[in-house]
This record gives sequence, structure tokens and C-alpha cells, in this order.
Amino acid sequence: MSTRILTRPQPSATRSAPPAGQPAAARRGPNLYRVLSRVIIWVLVVVQVYPLVWVFLTSLRDERDFASGNPFGLPSSLTLDNYSRAFAHGHLGRYIANSLIVTLGSNLLIVVCGMMGAYALQVLGFRFSNAVRAMFLVGIIVPVQIALVPLFIDYSKINLLDTYPSMIIPLAGFALPMAIYLFSSFYGYIPRETYEAASLDGAGPYRIFARITLPLSVNTIVTVVMVNSIFIWNDFIFANTFVLSDNLKTIPLGLQNYIGAMGKTDWTATFAAVCVTVTPLLLVFLVLNRAMIYGLESGATKG
Amino acid sequence: MTRRFRLRSAATTAAALVLALTAAACGGSGGTNSADVDPQGTIKPREISWLLSRPADGAVIKTMSTLADQYATTHPGFKLNLITTPDRPSYIQKYETLAAANKLPELFDTDATPYAQKLAKQGRMMDAAKLLKDLGLYGDYRKSALDYQRFDDGSLYMIPFEYGLEFFWYNKALFKKAGIQVPASLDDFPAMCTALRASGVTPIALDGQDQWPLERYAAYQPFRTAGPTYVQKLKKNQASFSDPAGRKAADWVSALGKAHCFASGFSSAGYSDAQALFTSGKAAVYNIGTWELGSLATDKLDPAVRDDVDFFTLPTTSGSVTAANEYVAPSGIGMAVNSRTYDPLVRDFLKFALTRYPALYAATGLLSPTTNAKTAIPANATPLYARAVAAADTVGTKPAMPWDTQLDPTTNTRLQQELVLLAQGDTSPSSFTSTMDSALRQNAPKFFK
Amino acid sequence: MLPSRSKLSVVVFLLPPLLLYAAAVLLPIVQSLVLSFFSWDGISDMQFIGLANYRHMLTGDPVFWRTFANQLGYVAICLILQLGGGLVVASLLATLTRGREVIKVLYLLPAVISTVAIAFLFQRVYSIDPVGPLNTLLDVLGLGGQERPWLSDVHTVLVAVSAPEGWRFIGLYTIILYAALLTVPRELEEAARLDGANQWQIFTRIRFPFIRPVWLTTSIMATTYALRGFDIPYLLTNGGPGQSSELVTTYMYKTAFTSTDYGYASTISVFIVVECLVAVGLILLVLRRKAV
Repeated sequence: MSTRILTRPQPSATRSAPPAGQPAAARRGPNLYRVLSRVIIWVLVVVQVYPLVWVFLTSLRDERDFASGNPFGLPSSLTLDNYSRAFAHGHLGRYIANSLIVTLGSNLLIVVCGMMGAYALQVLGFRFSNAVRAMFLVGIIVPVQIALVPLFIDYSKINLLDTYPSMIIPLAGFALPMAIYLFSSFYGYIPRETYEAASLDGAGPYRIFARITLPLSVNTIVTVVMVNSIFIWNDFIFANTFVLSDNLKTIPLGLQNYIGAMGKTDWTATFAAVCVTVTPLLLVFLVLNRAMIYGLESGATKG
Repeated sequence: MTRRFRLRSAATTAAALVLALTAAACGGSGGTNSADVDPQGTIKPREISWLLSRPADGAVIKTMSTLADQYATTHPGFKLNLITTPDRPSYIQKYETLAAANKLPELFDTDATPYAQKLAKQGRMMDAAKLLKDLGLYGDYRKSALDYQRFDDGSLYMIPFEYGLEFFWYNKALFKKAGIQVPASLDDFPAMCTALRASGVTPIALDGQDQWPLERYAAYQPFRTAGPTYVQKLKKNQASFSDPAGRKAADWVSALGKAHCFASGFSSAGYSDAQALFTSGKAAVYNIGTWELGSLATDKLDPAVRDDVDFFTLPTTSGSVTAANEYVAPSGIGMAVNSRTYDPLVRDFLKFALTRYPALYAATGLLSPTTNAKTAIPANATPLYARAVAAADTVGTKPAMPWDTQLDPTTNTRLQQELVLLAQGDTSPSSFTSTMDSALRQNAPKFFK
Repeated sequence: MLPSRSKLSVVVFLLPPLLLYAAAVLLPIVQSLVLSFFSWDGISDMQFIGLANYRHMLTGDPVFWRTFANQLGYVAICLILQLGGGLVVASLLATLTRGREVIKVLYLLPAVISTVAIAFLFQRVYSIDPVGPLNTLLDVLGLGGQERPWLSDVHTVLVAVSAPEGWRFIGLYTIILYAALLTVPRELEEAARLDGANQWQIFTRIRFPFIRPVWLTTSIMATTYALRGFDIPYLLTNGGPGQSSELVTTYMYKTAFTSTDYGYASTISVFIVVECLVAVGLILLVLRRKAV
């Protein structure tokens, strides 16, 4: 049974490697078209990658060079001074640890609740499933800012302020609709017969979830985790609203330590801190990108 | 009548049920007496918190945490939590949310805004004048430092921790190159800019992103021609932008724009950008306070401009009702004492800390809000440093209040936006004044009943 | 529906997500809805004022309508960049033979950088005094007359604040649309080519109809994200100059936390929710009708 599932045609795998050279296009289309498209693709690569490189180069600049020199030229000299300031003025390690806790906690909630919700909506099905689905969809749309004041007051009532859950719950709650949507699209993919066969074998809904749905969801899980991590890692608004004590500060709050009197900002140290703090995210991103892109693609092609 | 009443009560019930917000909203009216500055009882050390909006590695936080550590050695169990959010808009969001949930800590920072005045009226803050007098410290403070923290009715609810003078810093070499002198009157500014532009430099470096620097320019003319009372009346809708003082402000900002005083694209330039423009010798004038002495009057300053930097104070105008030694001298965001959590411990700690604070703070090279501590001139200072510090002793009695803490927040936001348009030439002085007057009429009454 | 499901199993699976969702999203929405009928500054007593906030928003607040118009412009620009740009790039990517996987990853990179850094970067990019890259580029191209302070010019600022938001997520939409394009059966395209169809006709007649369902999903995603746009305009210009780049979202935030008018801010939030629902409805309507 499991082999049958695994050999199910994978949407991108079937067509991801068209015959080399694309003979049809090469024969017909003028060479100019091909050259032009290559140029556009590579220009865009530069445009997309450059900002990260720029942030990195700026973090190595001397403060005075940054203030007076051309910000886009190469630094006249390289210095690690900004990094030592970045570490001196903030507990970067602490912030990274907090961001990790919040990101992992939220992702855990998002994935577990997302899978369960999608399973109930898409696989199990029930009478008002469409209404429930629509209700979840509203959440994709709602701007997070509206929740700040009510949530703050609710949390203060149940003494949840200034705790990890006070950040994790709203972050997970607002990301949940998208997760349910992605998981549902993917579950719609799994052929009915698979479930029917399992049911005939006597498997109940819990066993089917654990034996069939869960193992198949890995790519989608990675996608959901990655997309949400990007947002959660950089979240400022919930953290700033619900966190008070220094030892719970996440990275975006920590970056505020480089703001001085009346709004004067130590930008080179900020960028050094940005480089340090984006690294964990970037590493995970580079390692998991294949699974993530695959998940995005399969979510997309289902439509 | 009855129907309306029923509707009202139904709605209120709904709100109470669904939100349970009303309890939070009303909570402030109860609580302790905000005038009882010396409550009975023993000092029981505990952890207290200060929600503040100051640089994390700045002198205020460093000095206060040193003092808190000292206090803790004799009072085991005491701890001062410093919760800082240096970015002001983020801070304000946090402080207002806490106030709405009735969760403000023992100490919190606020400017003397209309919002803070509401908190004071609800008895949520201790009377700082009474408190300082009771501690025997009131007389130590500079008059203008306390005045900056006062509400219009003269009441004092915030304690200052800083003091600064706002100057026009200028580059002597660039002035010489352009063949001009320091402006004798505010009305000389447009001509000064034209001459500086002609010599190829940006006349005035301005941080447009943070809004308040341009708003200062709007406040200068009315302060000279009508004195500090204009903005106090204006914010209550008892004066208008189309009054002579307001029109003068609009005309002047518009004239500054027409004379290309500010860098092209100033509205999106940040604090550091504006300062870099001045310290790299590309701009000739920079309006900022003495809190920047460390960047402007020490060897941190680029050697190329180090000896050319000087300052002048806010020029007067013909018929000025305020004197030359009266200009903006802010004592920074103030600290309020929460009346609900005020007890003998808070009082004792404040007494300990505030008594020792001035000497320690002044030793860092900054101006203390009190007169009893001499500012230490850092070893790497230029001669300008001592001159700037000395000016603090000659400041006059009428304070020039920054408008951003005076006007109601909605009118203030609108003013900041319209001023940019005015300075860029996107709107005329007359449509500026009529837009602002209608914004004022709509919003001021909500805040100043 | 799973044949062996029980009512209990539906409840077991549905309850955790529902609880989370209710606690974090539904409850505050309902609370906002209630607040929108009140006048409340957070610290004084709440005052029931009925529909006065709605009346003020719809008839008495020109700034609100200005921000609404800006928001529409912002959405349009984001959509052109993300969907239009994404589709073009995805089509180009499909012609590539090597390195596609690497390029896809590189395209996604801007999404991981914090918006604070992005705002700072673009402030430099648009700058004219000192001259930033965009104005330098115009000068090099001989378009010196077009140089301007992009973020201070009331005519260009909206485009200038929208572009970074559009650009950040081009990679995301490119990848989704690229995957969709790969599912178009090549035999259909070949057959059309043999019939003498040109590239454009192949695209409009064969490829696009085939990817329409995906297009629908991405349209909804991109539109609703753009309607929620906040960070970059807030950080880059704070709505200025004047109200030229103020969006409904930033206006709502300022109404709540600068003006402490939580009641009116909630009214604006309700409007944002309605606005998003209408947008999704319109997209469904347009794309479904075409498909029939």
C-alpha cells in the first residue's frame, strides 16, 4: 500500500526535466529571444540577491565610511568593530534563543493544528465543513493590527502577558488559516482509493491519520514551517506589544537596542546584528529549500 | 428617551460581556491618593519596574542601574527592572496598551502630552511637585527643566532625568565661503539659504523622517512673535493657525522651502542621514540639542570639519516678545510614578536614587536637570563642548515648548504631514492654515474638554 | 468523506485548531466589531456612540478616502509586480535548461531579510541627495530629466513604497506559477505550434487557461497580502509626504496608537476586513466567469 502511495506521480517530477536544449524553442524562436530571457533571469538574480550582500558589506563598514562614503561602493576598509558593538549592546544569543523558542513553538502549533483542521475538513468531512472552511479563510484576510488591543487586555486578564505563549498564540492563530489551506490542497491530492483501501483493512480515522496522511505530509510541513518561519522570525508587532522583560525579547525587539537618543540609530551595528540573526534562518532555508519549493509547487498545482 | 436608554444599556452589557474591557477602562478611577507622597508603613524590598524610552546603553539607564544595584546591597530583595523601547512610536504604542489594560509598572516614561494629562486627572500618577518637595529635592531642579514637564495648568507629574539646549550648529568655513554671517533674525534664514545654495552646499540638514525636527521650525516664529501662550491657546482651539502668529509660521516654512533650505528629499532622510550631512561638511546648518555634544564637540567628529563647527541660538525677530536667551531647552521624556503601586519602598528608592543621580549623571559629560552638579567635560572634547555646557546657566525663563507634545495627537500628526507638503512647495500657506484649522476644530475639543 | 469516520473523530480533529483560532483571531475580531460602536481612548470610560464612527469614516473623513485610494494603488502595483512579474519570470524560467533549482532559491532570498533592513536599503536606493542608484541609473540611461527624490515627490511616492513590497515576494509567486506552467501538456503546445500559433497565442489560448486555477489562488494570496501591507510604507515614509503614501492599514494603526481613538480604529479595521472580502469575491467572480 505504501509503495503505491510513494510512486504516485509527483507533479513537478514528471515534467521538471524537459529534454535538454528545448529543441522546439531553439529551432523556432530566434536566438535573440533566448539571449534576452537569460539576461533578464540573471539580472533578476542580481536584484534579488544584492540586498543581502549589501547588508553584509555594510555590516563590515567603518561607521564614518558609512556616514560619508558612497553607501553602494565597496567599503574602503573592512572592520569587525560593528560586530563587537552589536554583541556588546545586546544579548544577541538570548534574542536568538527566544526567537527560536517562539518560532519553533508557533510552528509546532501551526503544523499540528493545521494538519488536524485540514484532515477534519478535507478527509473526514462533515455537514458544515464549508462554513467552517470559510470561517478559517476569513483569517487569511484579517490584518493583525486589529487584534492588538483586545488581545492585550484579554491576556492581562489571564496573566499571560510577558510569556512565550503570549507571542506564540497570536502568531500561530493568524498563520493557521494559510496552513489549513495548504494542507487541505495537499490532502485533496491523496487519492480517495488509498483511504478506502485502508478503511477496508479496518483502519479508523486516527490510524489513517497517523499511518497515511502524516507520513505523506512531510513536504507540505516543511513548506508551511518555512513560509511561517520567515514571518515569525521577523515579527515585531506582537513581540513589541506583549513582551516587557528583557530576557524574553526576540530578535526584532533586540535590534531596537541600536537606537539611540531621539531616534539616532547605529546602523552599522544594526546590520551586523541583522547578519548574525538572519544566519540561523538562512541556514535552515538553504538546507530545506528543495522540500519547501516542492511543497509550494504541489500546493499550487492542485489549485 | 427610554428607547435610547435601553439601546445604550444593551450595548453596554454586550460590551461588558464580550470584551470585559469596561473593567479595565474604569480601573483607573479607583486606586490610591495621588497626593499622598509619604504613605505609612514599612519599607518592604521587592522588584519594581520602569518602563522607559531611552537608549539602552545611554547615561540615564547606566546611572540608574548603578544606583539600583547600590540600593539593593542595603535592601536585599530589591531589584529595578528597566524595560526600554528606544524607538518612540513603538514605545508609545506599548505604553498606551499597558495603560488601557491598567498594567502600567511602578515607574513609566511619558511626555507632558494631553494623553498623559488624562492619566494624571484620573489620579493614576503621583503628584511629582509634592513628591520632590517632600524628598527635599524640588529646589535643586532647574526651573526650565521642571517647566518642560508641566501641564498647562502648572501641575507637575513627571520627573526629568536629562537636560538639553537646542542650538543651530553651523559650519564656519561654509558660511565664510558663501560670504554670510550668522543670521541676526529668523527672517534672515531664507536669504542665508539662498547664499549657501549658491555656494554649492545644502543649507540645512534636516531629519524629515522623525517629523519633530521640521515641527520645531514651525514653532519658532510664533514663539518669537506671540510667546509661549500661542500654542497653549492653539491646542485648545482658542487660537487658530490663521491668526497672525500661525500665518507667520506658515509663510516662514514655505519661504524656507522656496529658498531650498533643506536637502532635496529631506522628508525621507533619517536622523543619522541628517547628522552625517552636517558632520561630513555637506550641509552648513544643523538644528539639534546638546545631547549630541558627543558627536559634534569631541574628537569623534570628522577632523575635516572639527574646527569649523560652532553654534548659535534661536535668533529673535523684530518685535519679538521673547528674549534671545529663551529657546527650546527640553528636559527629555519625563518619568511618572504610578500611584497604584506607590508605597514606602518606591518612595525610599526614589529618595536614594534621585539624591545621588545628578552627580553621577553629570560625571558622564551630560547636563543634569538639576543645578547642583557640574558637568564633567570629557577629555576628548573640543573647546566648543564647554561653551555649549555653559550656555545652560543663562537660559531664560519662558520656555519654548516643542509642539509635538502640546497639540492633540491627531492634529499633531496632520500638522507634521502638512508641514512637509508646505516645505516642499506642494501646498500654499493659505491652504495649509485652512486645512490645519479644520483639523484642529475637529480634534482639539475631544482632548481638551 | 472517510467511510469509517465517527462524529467524535471529527470533533477531536477540529477542536484544537478551532480553539486556537477562536482565541487568537475570532475573539479579537468580535471585540473589535463591538469596539467600533464605541468611543474609547483606552483609559476613560467607554461611550456607546452607535454608528457615529461609521458615519464619520464614510462621510466626514477625507483622509480616510485618500488612504483608501492609496491602498488600491498599492495593491495594483504589488499585483502587477508579483503576479505579472512572477508570470513573466516563470515563463522565462521554463525555457532554462540548467540551474533552475539554484535560481529559484536565490529568488526567494529577499523574503528572509527583515523589513527594517529593506526599508533602510530602499531609502538609499531612491535618494537624490546624495545620489542613489536609481537616479544614477537614470542619468546613465540619458534620462537625467527624470531624476527626483522618489520618496518625497507626491507623484511618485506611492509607486516607490509599493515596489519594494512587490519585489520582496516575486520569488514566491514565480515558483508557484512556474510549477503550474510545468503541468501544461507539451503536446497541446506542440499541436498549436504546428497550427501556426505564435508564442503569444500559445500563451493566451493554451497555457493561461490551463493554469487559471493556480492563478486564482495566487491572485487571492497576493491581493489579501497587499491589502494587509503595512511594514514598508510605515518604515519608509510613515505615510508621507502629506498623506501621499498613507495606507488604510497605517492610518488605522496611527488612529489607534497615536490618536488613541480605539473605537474609530476598530471601525477602520472592520472596513479592512470587508474590503478584503469584497476583493476576494471580485476575483472569484471575474476569473470564474472567464473560465465558463
